[in-house]
Amino acid sequence: MSDDIKKYFNGLLHKVSGLYVIQITDRDGVPLLRVSHNQEKNVDFALMPSFIPTFTTACDQASKLGLGRNKTIISMYSNYQVVQMNKLPLILTFVGAEDCNTGHILALEHQVDGYLEDIKLAVTEP
Amino acid sequence: MDYVRSIFECLASICSCWNCTDDLSSQGIEPSERTHLLADSVNQSPALRRSNSADLSNDYSQSLPKKDDQNALSRLVQNTAINMINVGALESHTLEHQEYTDRIKLYSQRLQQQWNNIQHPGVVLKGLLKDVPNQSYLSKCINPDDTAQMKMFIHKSQSAVLGIQIDHRDAVVVPFHIPSHIHKYNY
Repeated sequence: MSDDIKKYFNGLLHKVSGLYVIQITDRDGVPLLRVSHNQEKNVDFALMPSFIPTFTTACDQASKLGLGRNKTIISMYSNYQVVQMNKLPLILTFVGAEDCNTGHILALEHQVDGYLEDIKLAVTEP
Repeated sequence: MDYVRSIFECLASICSCWNCTDDLSSQGIEPSERTHLLADSVNQSPALRRSNSADLSNDYSQSLPKKDDQNALSRLVQNTAINMINVGALESHTLEHQEYTDRIKLYSQRLQQQWNNIQHPGVVLKGLLKDVPNQSYLSKCINPDDTAQMKMFIHKSQSAVLGIQIDHRDAVVVPFHIPSHIHKYNY
């Protein structure tokens, strides 16, 4: 993994106050890239291999309920918030503090999109 | 009666053709939860295991003589399985540990190969306001009249600031006239 991209994502991580983790996985939860704060809290629950595929399935099943296909699911917990973005075949996961500015997290999407196109090539067939 | 049956068969074949085009469009460029990832992990992907019933019906239909009716039926079963809300599918979504670690290695190898050939956007973007998502207006040229006006304003304001003079009339240090009775109250 190039250091440049890690630095770039680390820079994004530090731009948003209270953001702990940025993780890019495939839709089955296999990580491709992960950057986290030094003082990262215990946020493993949101990065478990079973958590991310559940998001994929939830998007898929929820689209059949009549609300259409959604792009982002924001889960608020008592101490954390998890923002998951559907960038199939990739899943983008942000974990932050409960008082972290969710709008700032969502605004990072545009700055990550340029990289995701390249990372998608690693997941799909050439 | 034969006439009605022939019409039905014709309709069934047309429906199957429509389903064909639907499948092609759904499995085309737009990625979805069911599009295949890498070839070696196709059969292991939990997202694909959900359509097992559809695969079974396909296998079953292949073992029988191929007829348009059965193809249409199997496609109907497949489409129903896809469109059905299946909350039970949420439970069986864990990869095998070996598969998980293999994929991590594979992805890291492929990314390593790719990053050597990619021009990173983070390296290209430099300068002020590089975080602004829509940078189209930054690339537009500034009207020369606007530039001249801004220069004129800056020049005038700078000359005005330089022209400020202080005329001392009173003493620069002014003693506070604190009444003595306040001290009496406090102490």
